[in-house]
Amino acid sequence: MIYGDHTTGIIVQGATGNQGAFHINLMNQYAKETGGRGVVAGVTPGKGGQKVHGVPVYNSVREAMAENDASTSVLFVPGFAAGDSIMEAASAGIELITAITEGIPVHDTMRALAFARMEGCTVIGPNCPGTLSPGELKLGIMPPHLAMPGNVGIISRSGTLTYEVINELTRAGIGQSTVVGIGGDPVIGQTFTDVLERFEADAQTKAVVLIGEVGGNLEEEGATSTDLPLVTYIAGISAPPEKRMGHAGAIIEGGEGDAVSKIARLRKLGIPVAGKPSDIPALVRELL
Amino acid sequence: MKLLEFEAKEIFRNNGIPIPEGVVIKSPDELRRHLNGFTDEVVVKSQVDVGGRGKAGGIIVTQKADAVEAARHLFSFPIKGLIPKAILVEEKLPIDHEYYVSISIDRTTRQPMILFAETGGVDIEETARTGGPEALRRVGFSPLLSEVPGFLMRQILGTAPKELGPVINNLYKAFCASDALLAEINPLVTTSRGVFAADAKLIIDDNALIRQGITANRDLTPREREAEENGFSYVELEGSIGVIGNGAGLTMSTLDLIQHYDGKAANFLDVGGGAGRERVMKAVRLVAGMPDVKVIVVNLLGGITRCDEVAKGIIDAGIDQHVITRLAGTNEEEGKALLAKNGYQMLDTMEDVVKQAVKEAAA
Repeated sequence: MIYGDHTTGIIVQGATGNQGAFHINLMNQYAKETGGRGVVAGVTPGKGGQKVHGVPVYNSVREAMAENDASTSVLFVPGFAAGDSIMEAASAGIELITAITEGIPVHDTMRALAFARMEGCTVIGPNCPGTLSPGELKLGIMPPHLAMPGNVGIISRSGTLTYEVINELTRAGIGQSTVVGIGGDPVIGQTFTDVLERFEADAQTKAVVLIGEVGGNLEEEGATSTDLPLVTYIAGISAPPEKRMGHAGAIIEGGEGDAVSKIARLRKLGIPVAGKPSDIPALVRELL
Repeated sequence: MKLLEFEAKEIFRNNGIPIPEGVVIKSPDELRRHLNGFTDEVVVKSQVDVGGRGKAGGIIVTQKADAVEAARHLFSFPIKGLIPKAILVEEKLPIDHEYYVSISIDRTTRQPMILFAETGGVDIEETARTGGPEALRRVGFSPLLSEVPGFLMRQILGTAPKELGPVINNLYKAFCASDALLAEINPLVTTSRGVFAADAKLIIDDNALIRQGITANRDLTPREREAEENGFSYVELEGSIGVIGNGAGLTMSTLDLIQHYDGKAANFLDVGGGAGRERVMKAVRLVAGMPDVKVIVVNLLGGITRCDEVAKGIIDAGIDQHVITRLAGTNEEEGKALLAKNGYQMLDTMEDVVKQAVKEAAA
């Protein structure tokens, strides 16, 4: 529970769109099963007064916060408007924004993140599936039923690959404390380093699985920043250079950020690197 | 998307960066009517999007009288397999000194970062390697600033001429205005007539192309473009195992697993979240349309993907190649039953699917 628990109240920005409405419903189903508060309000400018799956919609985050007890928002606002919405939530006093949106221009992300930081607001994403603390809190779109509570944290740049790893761990009887999708964009709010810092302060988490991919060097940066026992997996060992592999940030550029050298650097730090996702549970078990 | 030199220079000029006098031509003969505008020597530059163009012979410095011949040569001269559609002909500048400057986005600090070197015109990685940290200066600053602060500009320039400052500032404006991932001038030159961007490189953020008025991403192959229009992320590779997955990471991991078991993937295709019947059908047909594909792996995992829909999409596609599927999600049993009834194979783990596909591709 590094980003909240069952008492956390959630605001959804972009509540009346297809994605927003669909996931308000799923987040509230999970809240019902786990005794959480779930989504208490939605925001879509110009759609104030409507209801989505019984959740009241407001014109602004400020109005939603005035009438509801909520400290975190989950963002489904489309790409070109999402940067503005991040700044709106940060300015209104939201403490944690989970930006699900894919396709935000990176200049918008950069400015919105700098603005949010000035307001003391934490941003997860963008282009991420959000976080899941099994049995406690779901912020975003992760399918919760593959997961089970436990003491292994997961941090990942990917969505479905994370579900694959959750699935493998659960099948092996290894539960998860919190699963964090940090996003597939080149510029993201919470990095591996930031999330690891929270896991260090979390009594529940005993080991962390770090799921990285080609592009940048945030994996190595994170791995050197912590004393927590780690298992890593890097996707994209077969990825060709200069090609964007689905994620905006998954690209080997100027000979940097390829999987082979990432894996070599992680191994040099003495960190186990799984050759394939199904090898992860056995490596985790050795650490526990 | 990468812009060509002349396109980048147009944007630079609009942002107040001096560029050499020049013309863009689509055929060698077109150059004849422009030659009067030049004095003596000209630089004839092939407009292809590859690095090391100069070394490969794509830039010719010549007397005005021979410029048409030089252009004729370059129009049929392939550089790394690419033939130019346009050629840029420019005045030859009386260069005093060459510098390097670029602005990119630093993932670690989440900020714009300026790189500056007092020796430009050459391979900048080489300068970084041989010249030490002082040879390539790096300065980052808040993206909330609309221009480069003076104290940082002094840090960037060191003993280099102050006139470079306004050009670097304008480069930052061009970088922001064009949603660039990279804006580079190499070389940035000083002359008796002032400072000029002798070359220009701009890479535009694919997520901002619409906002920049760019409708089609030229970096893509026709099949990649078709995939993009359908909302897929798609990359062509060279093997014989077609791959369809959902999510970039899982799809990449499927490709890696194919390599792990000594197979070769034909492509990367991420269908995106919550793919239904129609999207799956289109994806399967797209991959099946690649000439070398012998067998197709479908690896879909997700809470919102409905397996019965996926199964229907695979069956609708009705392709010749064998499709091996691994599905996990809602209505898994219905999906399995549908596929089994129609003679399609379904396995429980991505490893089993990949092993089977590698075996069939090798057969």
